[in-house]
Amino acid sequence: MEIRPILSALMRSKVALVLIGLQIALTLAIVCNSLFIISQRVQMMGRESGINEADTFTIGSLGFGAAFDIKTSIQEDVALLRSLPGVADATPTNTTPMSNGGWSTGINLTREQKTSTAPSAMYFVDEHGLNAFGAKLAEGRFFTADEITFRERSSVDWPPVIVITRALANKLFPDQSALGKQVYLDTEGNPNTIIGVVERMQVPWIGWSAEDGPDAEFYSTFVPQNVAFGNFGRYLVRTEPGRRDEVMKAAEAAMLKSNHSRIVREPRTIERIRAEGYQGHRAMTIILIGVIVSLLAVTALGIVGMASFWVTQRTKQIGTRRALGATRGSILRYFMTENFVITSLGLALGVLLTYGLNYWLMANYAAQRLPLVYLAGGIVVLMLLGQAAVFGPATRASRVPPAVATRSV
Amino acid sequence: MLKMKHLSKVYRTHLIETHALRDFSIHVREGEFVAVTGPSGSGKTTFLNIAGLLEEFSGGEFWVDGVDVRGMNDDQRSRLRNEKIGFIFQGFNLIPDLNLFDNVDVPLRYRGFSAADRKRRIEENLGRVGLASRMKHYPAELSGGQQQRVAIARALAGSPRLLLADEPTGNLDSLMARGVLELLEEINRQGTTIIMVTHDPELAARAHRNVHVIDGQVTDFDAEPQLRVPSGNATAAVA
Amino acid sequence: MFYYYLQLGLHSLKRNPLLTALMVFGIALGIGTSMTSLTVFYLMGSDPIPWKSDKLHVVQMDNWSVEQPYRTPNEPPDQVTYLDANALMQAGKADLQTAMFKLVWPLQPDNQDIKPFSSLGRATYTDFFAMFEPPFKYGGPWDRAQDKDHGRVVVLSSATNEKLFGGQDSSGKKVRLNEIDYTVVGVLDKWQPRVKFYDLTNGAFNDSEEYFVPFTTAIELQTQASGNNSCWDNPKPGWDGYLASECVWIQFWVQLNSTARKDEYLSFLNNYVGEQKKLGRFPRALNNRLPDVNEWIVDQGVVPSDAKIQVGLSFAFLIVCLVNTIGLLLAKFMRKSSEIGLRRALGATRGQLFSQHLIEAGVIGISGGLIGLFLTWLGLMAVRSLYKDLNSVAHMDWFMVLTAIALSVTAAVLAGLFPTWKACQITPATQLKTQ
Repeated sequence: MEIRPILSALMRSKVALVLIGLQIALTLAIVCNSLFIISQRVQMMGRESGINEADTFTIGSLGFGAAFDIKTSIQEDVALLRSLPGVADATPTNTTPMSNGGWSTGINLTREQKTSTAPSAMYFVDEHGLNAFGAKLAEGRFFTADEITFRERSSVDWPPVIVITRALANKLFPDQSALGKQVYLDTEGNPNTIIGVVERMQVPWIGWSAEDGPDAEFYSTFVPQNVAFGNFGRYLVRTEPGRRDEVMKAAEAAMLKSNHSRIVREPRTIERIRAEGYQGHRAMTIILIGVIVSLLAVTALGIVGMASFWVTQRTKQIGTRRALGATRGSILRYFMTENFVITSLGLALGVLLTYGLNYWLMANYAAQRLPLVYLAGGIVVLMLLGQAAVFGPATRASRVPPAVATRSV
Repeated sequence: MLKMKHLSKVYRTHLIETHALRDFSIHVREGEFVAVTGPSGSGKTTFLNIAGLLEEFSGGEFWVDGVDVRGMNDDQRSRLRNEKIGFIFQGFNLIPDLNLFDNVDVPLRYRGFSAADRKRRIEENLGRVGLASRMKHYPAELSGGQQQRVAIARALAGSPRLLLADEPTGNLDSLMARGVLELLEEINRQGTTIIMVTHDPELAARAHRNVHVIDGQVTDFDAEPQLRVPSGNATAAVA
Repeated sequence: MFYYYLQLGLHSLKRNPLLTALMVFGIALGIGTSMTSLTVFYLMGSDPIPWKSDKLHVVQMDNWSVEQPYRTPNEPPDQVTYLDANALMQAGKADLQTAMFKLVWPLQPDNQDIKPFSSLGRATYTDFFAMFEPPFKYGGPWDRAQDKDHGRVVVLSSATNEKLFGGQDSSGKKVRLNEIDYTVVGVLDKWQPRVKFYDLTNGAFNDSEEYFVPFTTAIELQTQASGNNSCWDNPKPGWDGYLASECVWIQFWVQLNSTARKDEYLSFLNNYVGEQKKLGRFPRALNNRLPDVNEWIVDQGVVPSDAKIQVGLSFAFLIVCLVNTIGLLLAKFMRKSSEIGLRRALGATRGQLFSQHLIEAGVIGISGGLIGLFLTWLGLMAVRSLYKDLNSVAHMDWFMVLTAIALSVTAAVLAGLFPTWKACQITPATQLKTQ
């Protein structure tokens, strides 16, 4: 089967060609770009936060009135939590990864510099912080109990020692170990010595500081302090594997019993915090998958509809071809080839539209350039879709009896 | 060239059986020009469809050019049709989306000739029907007579042994009809067997012999064909 | 005649139920998808207080560091310092004005059956109620004297009043918040602006407050704001040091009843910042702004880029569905070409045939639109379950229902125009002759 006569026949019905071609072109453009967005989101959602997410939860407390003794409350709560059966470890903390609320500060390498070298999220924890979060220490050591202080409203200075993530260490001190180096969390305050580097710890905000690159979402600093103002206490608890839900209930009950001059806030698992944090990305992914599936369905149905119409319209022609010696196979091939030609033309236009749409997304929404593999994938999918959609009508065409040729209507 | 013995064709629906042909026997020899006549509904078209391998038959025996057609599958019949039989239809049946060149090309494509061979055959046959200069035109741009000439060129392009014509002048005025008929006679003289279905007695009179069909049966079967002596230098071969 | 055409259209649609279903389904899917995303997009970005959105302005003053802007390229902070909030309240130059911040206090009900719970409140001035016009069910706002005297008064939301007092008029009753008793002066009716435009800093789609207390009272009680707090310089120790710092954590809104008043207020602000510069504050170039509600919604990026991409993609999807419908309608009408030729031969004018087929296309459009509305309803339900915080904006309103119907009929008629025109080009002669 050669393409030229099919092409020249198609050129005689340009409208149909344009309609199906345009539909395929638009479908390719939307499918490729949507798939690309989906894969980026899926990749983003699949990133590891660097902490144990399966066995951890947070629980909070809010004390009543100005007389509430937050310092004692923190110490009692954390001791109570650690004493509960099934608890592996617990720490006070101001926030957790992916919770979308927290404290950030710029980090400086010298006292004189005017703009900070890197932004960083601050995690205020005690000496159990590393173990409770289940983060991995890469270099140096974590805090000791005697290094932990309270951060009060009147506190201005930052503690002399801090622990940072590897991503932040690489940003601050590329190509050398950050261990033992000094930085300034406050250019007017004391220097802060890096005593340890943690493998990985995500910041609380998803999509944070995008202009600093994807690594910026792992620029975190551990500070050996407990925040003791505002009557809020928050704790991160890691349980023995598999006992999280049971311990969570026990922890809430125990805290409620221990101190009546405060509210115990509902415990939340890190898994729930992750789900809520990525809610928008997850929703976008689901919506785009829905769009792709509906779009492919509509396009396939459109091809089926148009091809059926063509078969009906050309019944006589098919009969004539059969009378002139065409086999069933050659009629089937004719329609399959015709669809191949139309789809190819549509896809050629589609490539332009795909990159046009990609360019618009790049210009307006800071998207990235579409990798060729998505285009190739989209082309293969649409080609197969077209062939599958036309197979039914083409089979029907091949069953047209040759005697149709001698029928007068 | 074409031989049917006790052929029958039954159309069945779930309620009734219709015998379109019954005990139908005919023998057309090579080089003959046979007209099949009969009133509407007599079975002319059914005969033509079976003769052209467009339809299967229910019983009896049938040979085309010495080949037994019984038990052939669809593809085998398609190939036989493509190689041995040319068709001319009442409604011309040109493909409107293709130009004259591509229309004549259709059977040649299925035959699998080389590009050069196809081109030669197309040009030769369009020349033979006087339309060589209009190869790039589309059917809608031609008169009815011209369209039927294209259909004849298409039928002849594959050098068939047998040409089947279904009311070839039915859609034409008398002047055009005469031109087409003369072309068919010329083709016959050059050696192609022609079977023509018509209800026009004037047309039938120009054939070598007439076969009259009524109610699915041959009523007037000239056992021995009266071959006219061909004029010109072409010689009719006797089967 | 219209009725005859309608009958013909319905008859023709019934003759090819599969093709008809394909067309209706295509339009419905396109309408459903695009209307779902458009509804969310429209409700997110639409004016939440149309009758006075041009009179309400956010006060922005650029007190940020000389080294870098608050936000690139050169945006002033979205909140103000306590120093400036206090000074602007003292000056009182706007028609109405309020400083405010978000707070979380434990609420301790008298009723022992209700456990104390942590509750979201807002510290503000009494002008808040006149400016943003929440409806009152019982009582009213506190008066200005309470602002001055740090009154222990509270306005409850209807939900809080329901919870604490069973929905009864609770004016004059006491509510205990963070160990201090407040007297209820008013109870709001249900009030949940689609977009929480008066505090975009802390979430455009957050829940509305459970109660309101005077700003001055919250400051006296040294209440830490639970909203966003940004500093470019370290505050001095203690509460007083914090109040005197360059940290921004207070939203400041003014009502200015005319553009002349707005110009006056801006020049007042510029003078104020000029004076402060003499005291060594405001190191950056003068950069005061008074965006109104709609400008503020755009400025703060309330409509996320995902929503915009979704609208773009869903409209591209609608186009695909329309192209699809054009193709199928064309196929359908062309299949009927002999009938059209016959009608022409029997004396139908082109115009009559045109109307007949356009009505057929319109029937498809309306059916598609109605099913599309149903799909939109399903789609919005899906959006609400996917985005927990979009409850307030993922709802249909009458305007969107009418838009959906108009969109689908327009789309179907547009899609029908070309095939109809093509069908009417059929000449009676050719159709009757060549069969």
